[in-house]
Parts: sequence; structure tokens; C-alpha cells
Amino acid sequence: MYGWRGRIGLLVPSINTTMETEFWQIAPEGVSVHTARIAGGRHGTPEELRSMENASKKAAEDVAMVEPDVVVYGCTSGSFFEGPEWNRKICEQLSAITKAPTVTTAGGMAACLMTSGHKRVDVVTPYVELTNERLKQFLKAHGIDVVKLGTFDMLDMFDHAKIEPEEIYRKVKEITTPEAEAVFVACTQLRALEVLDMLERDLGKPVYSAVQASAWQAYEAMGVDPGITHCGSLLRRLSEPGAIKPPQARRTA
Amino acid sequence: MSRIGLLVPSSNTTVEPEFYRALPRGVTLHTARLYLTRIAPESILKMVEDMETQAKLLASADVDVIVLGATAPSFLNGLGYDQELIRKIESATGKKATTTSTALVQAIGHLGAKRVVLGSAYDERVNGIAKAFLEASGVEVVGVKGLALVDNLVVGRLSADTAYDLAVEVDHPGAEAIVLSCTNWQTMDAIERIERDTKKPVISTTQASIWAALRAIGHTAPVAGYGRLLQELGT
Repeated sequence: MYGWRGRIGLLVPSINTTMETEFWQIAPEGVSVHTARIAGGRHGTPEELRSMENASKKAAEDVAMVEPDVVVYGCTSGSFFEGPEWNRKICEQLSAITKAPTVTTAGGMAACLMTSGHKRVDVVTPYVELTNERLKQFLKAHGIDVVKLGTFDMLDMFDHAKIEPEEIYRKVKEITTPEAEAVFVACTQLRALEVLDMLERDLGKPVYSAVQASAWQAYEAMGVDPGITHCGSLLRRLSEPGAIKPPQARRTA
Repeated sequence: MSRIGLLVPSSNTTVEPEFYRALPRGVTLHTARLYLTRIAPESILKMVEDMETQAKLLASADVDVIVLGATAPSFLNGLGYDQELIRKIESATGKKATTTSTALVQAIGHLGAKRVVLGSAYDERVNGIAKAFLEASGVEVVGVKGLALVDNLVVGRLSADTAYDLAVEVDHPGAEAIVLSCTNWQTMDAIERIERDTKKPVISTTQASIWAALRAIGHTAPVAGYGRLLQELGT
């Protein structure tokens, strides 16, 4: 059977074309990815982002059928937009439906920055101003300040995937400040995964992405060390001694 | 870059990994799910109701083709039903569409087989419907054997060895090709072994779906490792 080592139930906004692809690219032997789509529009308006919370329940019902070991709600703005409580509510709802631990991208973002001890970070997003403000508030609520935010400023979420990895590389390099301890690239539709290693080498500080942070939490929750060595320091951390907790020590839902 | 949109029954755990492994560089897969627990006519008809909504979600990701990657649902109502489903998807989305059953019949025709044996994960009732569909499509079925499973999750837990064993068992001197049916049944890893040992081409429903999807997006380079059909892509 496929997914004998771990089965990921992946919920993506219907327009997203990047996250499934990047999740499959890093999936090791024995791990399978099963996707369901969250209904919503193309534009990241407040109404659309809020509606995803409800629409994700239907996608969760469908993906629950594969008996996943972890469920990933794969949208950054769709999980931070209404704040930390909202994000927690999404996790709880989806866990109740799927009977599996659920991680969200915004939760992964906060967790990777907090466990790394970062207090001041730069952020790159494709978002419009209102969404960027909400992102800063979300991080602030977790004790993290955004020093500088660089944006591609595009409302059309489908078009976010058209931004080339090299453009993301250049944007991160262009906006990052010496005060920031790390950089986070938000949005699971941005193809950042393949340039994270290069950015970390060239900037000398950690650079994280939405898909990467989601995967990091998913593998941790499954108790699987994927052995991914080329997609940034965060995923390499899963291969460090003690990073993967034995099943009885992991949260189960 | 091309994008394949795949509609899978919600409980299917096999077709996504098998597609991903076979797809060439530059072709990505995007999935939407249709609620299905049991391979039985009542459950399947309900699943089809969800199909247009889910197809539209795939269309929002601007996929180049939509494949209904489910075998029994696409042959359930006999000859022409697959075409009806294709029309439904195409008119709901404006995208090109195909189904596993459509791909299966095309692939059998492409390999020039007129008489086949059928190995499946299904019970007798669904096998009967499968046989009738193939025969109505002009393919004679000279032998049928199923694993008699109706719980889709159980099918997903089977290894590819079960496909090899059943194929060798159901093979018949009168058959020109071996058909393996059910996209939740691991078949891809068994295809080349069966072809080598039986000296006959194998058409599995997942392999035929991949073949049809790649043809629909104009991909013509051979795909190695999964039997004659994909090896001869573009011919």
C-alpha cells in the first residue's frame, strides 16, 4: 500500500498549483500525499479568505476517507487572516472531522519562527496591504516583529504561482535587513522551496517558506524524518537526533 | 509546463502516488476528491453528483485536462455513460476531459487487442457490469476474475503482487491482452513483470488514464517502466 510510512491529507485552495507539487517533490519513500481542494475564489479578498474556513470542512470530509496520519490546511493567509484564535479553531474543526492531527500554514509559520527563537524577521509575500497588515498582527501576537515586509502586491491568488523562484530569490535578497534574524516567505502558492537553500547560503541566516514550514510540522506530527537535505535548514532539523519524537510522546489529535 | 487535473474517489489512496511517479518532468498533478466509500452502484451514483462541483475547483487551477480517475463510476451505466460524464465535466468547466473507462477502451484499441481477459478488485456484480461495458465497446472478454472487494480502503492496502498473481491466473490462451481494472488497486509495479511472463500487453486502468491524460496534453515522449502502452506513447 502507498503511504505505509505516513499519509498526508493535504487541503489546498482550489486555485493552488504549487503546494501539491512541492509536497510530492519532497515526499520520501513510503509517504503519500492525498489532496482535496478548498472551494473559494481566485482573489484573496477578506470575504474569500474568511469563507475558506467553512469550505475547508467539506475538503476535510473527503480527505478523511484516506485515513491520513496528518492533515495540512495549506494556506497562509487563509489561516492567519482572523488571528491566532481563528487559526486554532480551524485546526480543531479539521481534526474533529478527520480524526488526525491538523497543522496549518500560519501555525507552521509561527511555530518555526518561535522554536528558532526569532524575535525580529523580514517577510516576503505576494499579498495586498490589508493582508500584509493582518500577517504582521498575527506574528506580533506570537511575539515576533516584522522588520521589513516586501510584497509582490497581487490580489489574484492563481497568479502568485507565476512568480518564478528566481524572482522570489531576488526579492528576499533585495528587502532583507541586517536587523532581521530570519526571513519568512509567505503563501503556499509561491514557488520558494527550491531557492531556500541558496538564500540561506547567500544571506547567512535562516530563510523559511510557507510550504516548507507546513511540511516541517506535518512530518513532525507523523513522526517521520523525511531526510530532506536540499530544501533549507528547517527541514534538515528533522534529521537531527531527538527531532522525531516516539509515537507515544506525540500529540494524537 | 502542463497541468493534469484528476478527480479521485475520496477513499482512493493509490491513484495519486501512481500518477505522480509516472508523470514526466514539467507535468504536474492536481487532485480533487469525490466522496466514495464503497464500490457499489448506489454509492457511485451519489459520487457523480459531486463531480461537476469538484471539476470546477480543478478548472480554477487552470488545468489542461480533467481526468475522472475512477473506473467503475465511469462504466456503471453502460456504453455511452463515460461520454455523458465527459460532456458534463467539459460543459461545467470548459476544459478537455476524459474518464478512466474511456481511456481503457481507447488503450485496448490502440494496442489492437480484440479479445482480453479482465482481472479486477471487484465483486461479481461490478465485474459483470465491467464485462458488459467492454463487450458493448467491441472488446470480447474471454475470462474474468475479481478479488471480490467492495471496501475501497481495503483495495488500497493490497500490494502490486496481488495484481501480478491475479493477472497470471486469469490469463487465457485466447486473450491478446490483459486488462487490470480499478484505480485504487496497485498495478503499475506489476505491469512489466506480467508482460514479460505472459508475453502479452497489459492495460491497467491507472496506466491507461495516465496515457490518455498525457496524450490529451500533447505529451509524446515515451514513459519507461510501466509497460508497452506508455513506452509507445506518441506512436
